[in-house]
Amino acid sequence: MASIGVMDASEMTTRELNALLKKASKTEDLIEITNPGARHNIVVGILDECHIKINGSVGYYSASLLDGPTVDIDGNAGWALGENLMTGRINVSGDVGASVGASMRGGDLFVGGDAGARAGISMKGGTLLVTGNTGFLTGFMMQKGRIVVCGDVGDAVGDSMYEGIIYVGGEYGSLGSDAEVAEIDEDELLDLWSLLDSNGVKSKPDFKKIISSKRLYHFDSLERLELASV
Amino acid sequence: MTNPKSYIFPQRTIDDIHAKADLGRYRIRGFSTSQNVTHFDDLTFLSTGLTRFPLEGYKERCNTKTIIGSRYASTPLSLDTPIYISGMSYGALSANAKTALGRAAAMTGTASCTGDGGMLQSERDASEKLIYQVLPSRYGLNPKHMVQAQAIEIVVGQGAKPGTGGMLMGVKVLDEIAEMRDLPQGIDQRSPARHPDWLGPDDLAMKIEQLREATDWRIPIHVKLGACRVDDDVKLAAKAGADAVVVDSMVAGTGASAEVLLDHSGIPTVPAIVMAREALRDIGLYGTVSLIASGGIRSGADVAKALALGADAVAIGIASLVALNCNREIEGSDFVNEIGVPAGECSHCHTGKCPVGITTQDPKLTKRLDPKSGAERVANFLNAMTMELSLLTRSLGKGNVHSLEPEDLAALTLEASAMARVPLVGTNKVFGEL
Ligand code: SF4
Repeated sequence: MASIGVMDASEMTTRELNALLKKASKTEDLIEITNPGARHNIVVGILDECHIKINGSVGYYSASLLDGPTVDIDGNAGWALGENLMTGRINVSGDVGASVGASMRGGDLFVGGDAGARAGISMKGGTLLVTGNTGFLTGFMMQKGRIVVCGDVGDAVGDSMYEGIIYVGGEYGSLGSDAEVAEIDEDELLDLWSLLDSNGVKSKPDFKKIISSKRLYHFDSLERLELASV
Repeated sequence: MTNPKSYIFPQRTIDDIHAKADLGRYRIRGFSTSQNVTHFDDLTFLSTGLTRFPLEGYKERCNTKTIIGSRYASTPLSLDTPIYISGMSYGALSANAKTALGRAAAMTGTASCTGDGGMLQSERDASEKLIYQVLPSRYGLNPKHMVQAQAIEIVVGQGAKPGTGGMLMGVKVLDEIAEMRDLPQGIDQRSPARHPDWLGPDDLAMKIEQLREATDWRIPIHVKLGACRVDDDVKLAAKAGADAVVVDSMVAGTGASAEVLLDHSGIPTVPAIVMAREALRDIGLYGTVSLIASGGIRSGADVAKALALGADAVAIGIASLVALNCNREIEGSDFVNEIGVPAGECSHCHTGKCPVGITTQDPKLTKRLDPKSGAERVANFLNAMTMELSLLTRSLGKGNVHSLEPEDLAALTLEASAMARVPLVGTNKVFGEL
């Protein structure tokens, strides 16, 4: 039988909570955290596979620097949810602040509501799925991975991105520097709809696909000549 | 008749305009600033005489032990010398160079630092004390590597190019380095200048708490600043909860930078240390938050002067590369033919063609640097610097390098007096003071 641990966050400091969680993540299959009180830095640096459920909203840097766990948050989250996620999965039922999935390198991050500015900034892998809207500079300096936004996206989407793909289900404010709209083929669309379906999202948006124009890849063609010119 | 020499358009300015007219953009290079600014050579020590007596220079004990980051960390960084190797990336540097630096640090009881681009396993294996950098780029950042570190350094800015991110030319962004950074092969990498997940000092406080939670409040968190608005920045970093503040000055080195930034931004090391010291003193945290200085530290005398001005430790970059034979003709190298300038005039780290195998990824060139003998050279140099530091300290009648103080110094120039806030030699006056 699966072992379950319950932690009442209101009865401990953040430091105590994370320390206990690190210990429990090695032995418990399911850990429930109650009364998180929108506190910052809850569930940080867990490097083992386990299942953590948070009943309530969390603050900045929740579920960050993770490698392995599945984290379900029933509520909203502050800035930088899932920052530098390596592997595993984060689901948040409500809205999230700025920089969700910042620099994530793998895994899956699902946002049930809206996300703030800079969603998926410096992303290096994995999938960020937002069922609502995202703000300004979504996918800024993105390197790899995919960002799927079912709703609208703010200005400067995909600004200075290197690789990776941003899919926008609704409208976007403006394209960022060096970003462009690419053709989306039917298989890709079917794949996205099935991703949505598996996350319990029933809509089938007509996604636009945004990629890098790759015009900023090189300083300029003259760079290689500098050696000869000095 | 020869033309009179122009001070506004000397030959190097003429060459610079020619180069930009050829290139159509700003110039890029490595190494360090070409500005001649006030530096440690403008200060001198006032050794003992009749008012105090010296310790025996070669015999009596002189303590060089240095503890960094005891403000909050349960395991502060404990070093046998106040000199460590600053962050230089695997990418800017070859794997052999990184490994040699890590090994040299271990041989001398001090630390080395990852730099941008993630942790190189061979440096981790070689280095007993490794400082793990968290940069705006977050290239290669891995929490499993972070927990192995002996300290974390959040990089806000770099002295050689404050206000901008790192730069690595496409010739070096290949294979393992591109993979570690999750970048397309061969691109000219311009790292982000801002952190992706925090913007101001209030966010930084939360970021610092996050890193502490991830490492169980065990290891110190340093904040590295490009020395510009030192007073405000140091206070804000300390208030955000840093265990140590690193001020990296305008004379600090780099593997690649726009020349305009190298030469025209930041402040020199001497005033940077003094301003940082006073900033910490203002908020009652001098002695609680460790102060680390970097930028143009070349000898034990420079270290001693930095410590006397108020630093707890220094970090060296270029000097450690010079110890690895940077700018020296070695067996197999041919500076003039390979890089276009003689040894001694090279600042071509950005080209990836380093003739001595330090700042290159070309296997033909990296072979020229043997990590084992390279480590011995750097360790020798670190030991020599530490000996110079203790010799000077004893000559001042002190048995602990951390007892050096501003009162031990005098300035050789008016500017140095004003910047270091010590008297000008031949006077009892600190110039610039009201
Ligand atoms: S010798 Fe190598 S490390 Fe030294 S300045 Fe030249 S390229 Fe840079």
